[in-house]
Amino acid sequence: MGERRRTASVVIALAVLGLLAVTVVALLTATRPAPDRAQDLAERLRCPVCKSVSIAESQSDTAVAMRGVVAEQVAAGRSDPEIVDYFRARYGDWVLFDPPAAGATLALWLVPAAVTVLGTGVVLHRMRQGPAGSPPALSAEERERVAAAVARARVAGVGEDDQP
Amino acid sequence: MTTAVPAAGWAGALLGLAGSIVLAVLGLRAQRRPGAVRHQQLRAAVWCMLGGAVLAMTALEVALLTDNFAMSYVAETHSRATPLLFTITSAWAALDGSMVLWTLILAGYTAVVLRQVPGTDDRLGTGALGVLGLVAAFFFGTVVLAANPFEILANPPADGPGPNPILADHIMVALHPPMLYLGYVGFTVPFAFAMSALLLREGGVEWLRRTRRANLVAWSFLTGGLVLGAWWAYEVLGWGGYWAWDPVENAALIPWLVATAFIHSSVVQVRRGMLQAWNFVLVLATFALTILGTFLTRSSVVVSVHSFSQSPIGPALLAFFVLVVVAGFTLIVLRAERVASLSRPESLASREGAFLVNNLLLSLLAFVVLLGTTYPILVEAVVGQQVSVGRPFFDRMAVPLGFALLLAMGIGPVTPYRRASGTLLWERMRGPLLAASAAAAAVTLAGVRSPGVVAVVGIATWIAASTLRQLVVGAPARTPAGVLRMVRGQRGFWGGQLAHLGVALAAVVIAVSGDLAERATVTLDRGQSAGFAGYTVTFERSEQHQQPDRLVTDAHIVLRSGTDVVRVAEPRLNSFPGRPQAVGNPSVWSALGQDVYVALGSLDPERVTLNLYRFPLMVWLWVAGGLVAAGGFWALGGPRRRTPVETSGEQPLEKVGSDG
Repeated sequence: MGERRRTASVVIALAVLGLLAVTVVALLTATRPAPDRAQDLAERLRCPVCKSVSIAESQSDTAVAMRGVVAEQVAAGRSDPEIVDYFRARYGDWVLFDPPAAGATLALWLVPAAVTVLGTGVVLHRMRQGPAGSPPALSAEERERVAAAVARARVAGVGEDDQP
Repeated sequence: MTTAVPAAGWAGALLGLAGSIVLAVLGLRAQRRPGAVRHQQLRAAVWCMLGGAVLAMTALEVALLTDNFAMSYVAETHSRATPLLFTITSAWAALDGSMVLWTLILAGYTAVVLRQVPGTDDRLGTGALGVLGLVAAFFFGTVVLAANPFEILANPPADGPGPNPILADHIMVALHPPMLYLGYVGFTVPFAFAMSALLLREGGVEWLRRTRRANLVAWSFLTGGLVLGAWWAYEVLGWGGYWAWDPVENAALIPWLVATAFIHSSVVQVRRGMLQAWNFVLVLATFALTILGTFLTRSSVVVSVHSFSQSPIGPALLAFFVLVVVAGFTLIVLRAERVASLSRPESLASREGAFLVNNLLLSLLAFVVLLGTTYPILVEAVVGQQVSVGRPFFDRMAVPLGFALLLAMGIGPVTPYRRASGTLLWERMRGPLLAASAAAAAVTLAGVRSPGVVAVVGIATWIAASTLRQLVVGAPARTPAGVLRMVRGQRGFWGGQLAHLGVALAAVVIAVSGDLAERATVTLDRGQSAGFAGYTVTFERSEQHQQPDRLVTDAHIVLRSGTDVVRVAEPRLNSFPGRPQAVGNPSVWSALGQDVYVALGSLDPERVTLNLYRFPLMVWLWVAGGLVAAGGFWALGGPRRRTPVETSGEQPLEKVGSDG
């Protein structure tokens, strides 16, 4: 029995690794279509006459015109930063939906990183400390109540819910 | 007659205000000295609140339905031509009316809490009623002082402008706002019990146990409200998306994330006695964030596609938010010694460890969304510079956190409490892992080339297979009846699993519909065709239809597969008299496998510009949202059970520890 289970385990492990390998190889060797740069850029630029939507999402005349400019510049072979800077020069930082990691929006990128480190640190710290002291000793009466509750639960026939 | 209705509404709001102030005073007094207040006095106060709110809401509806333009709210949001459905929904389609709905729902929740407070000896309950009274006093006060819909106009207009066009267009306006409010306002109940427990200097699980149902109800409704809101935006806004990371959307998402964290961490406290103080923080944060969210959406500090109202209640809400945060945290700090946890997790590889990771991830996600939403306001307030934070930022933060959450969802439910051995985890996870890797390989070989989609499909399959395995292995008998018995016996756990399945399905749809979408913009003369997503798209003609409240201009766009006509899409433009901007309505063709979405860019009788989208699997996103909400309602359970034995599996610690 134990022997068969171990064999099954190994077979499953090998199958999992094999399938994952197939997936990774297929993904690595796949030829992906070139990204739609004009669309990506349009999603990063805020429509100046709308409420909070990008020019990719707006039907307004201004947004349509700006999409046209983006498409023209992409076709003309300008790089992403060049195109972004072109709009930034006209509308200011406000037009960037993807705020740069500099200046007034630097903190926007630093704070989440800092909070992530802090939060992870707190969780790990609590783990390493281990249990806060030994559990309080139970009186005989309390022990009886625990035993009775366990017995009742057994009779009810429902297992622990962490036991699948 | 024309002035009697607004007068009655105003009187209702005043009655509610009086009732809530009395309830606040009596409830908090009863908590300190249970003998000093009679139960009947509390009941009378709650009935005044509820009666006042019902009267105010009824007056609002009656005034709208009878075209009572002498009342300010009707004059501002109604017109004689408005159809019946949108006349009824007008009651909450603008700010002042929505505050009345808020008070009505809050009074309703308070009445339910009252039913569960048997007498004034129940100090936790009377204190909670007092806190509910305080919150209700604020909202009734807002209706009376800052957002009064019942003002009587000296010179009533003959007709009004009608509701905001976007809010008079779709059945969803009857469903989404009330559902969202049922969620938002419901979080007041756990908050009230938490504050009451702190005032009593009482930690423990009693307040958690008593607010479990209210919290689940609120969470499930908020889930439903979020999903319906996304669906609504997708159906009417016409840009082909359902979520824009818009401030108003975020304002509803942030409390949902924190409340989700609380649902998980409360299980840890009930089962293992950990995270006591953290649970107080989460409940306080959820409630405070609903107030902050209301402030963000109801004042003009943010620009949003959903901002339908602006008014002077902004400062009042901000002040209330600050008050709640300061008072709540002060109380938690003052009671620090009472709410410190008794035990610590032994190992990260345990159920409580997984819950801890889940809480960390959900809190981080809530935090970054809050940061991104409020950052432009803060920068403008501090340095006066205008900046924008949009989808690229939120996606970059939410995608990795979302993946981590999905992984935690796969591992957590199969991990035992206290400590998990590697052998046990492998034993439980090897089947699901095999299914996951097979699914990933299958979609890759089927031609999907996006690593994100492949990864999401794999992890979602893992979660689903793991749930299925537990259903089969854990059931007392491997028959439908046996499985049903188990799923009914442990509603909390299985409701959670159902919600997890919904989240996994939603993740798959979000990834697939985003990464594998096709989009194109075409300009067609009349009779001209273009190809899109395997269909031939032809612009046949454009028609105008005069309706009572609007002029509809539609385009007939015929989709052919080969030579067969498979669909005539009719995207529309609605022009309302007196409103300069026409409102577009896309045409959405939903099928099980894909949506074809046709939106108008521009429309002349002889020429049309169309934005065409194909979104694979889109319908399943709404199904997934429904599953998540259904999970919450399932966990709520059937009829209330009396004996503690029968509720086994849910809260054993409370059974052993608190019934003496």
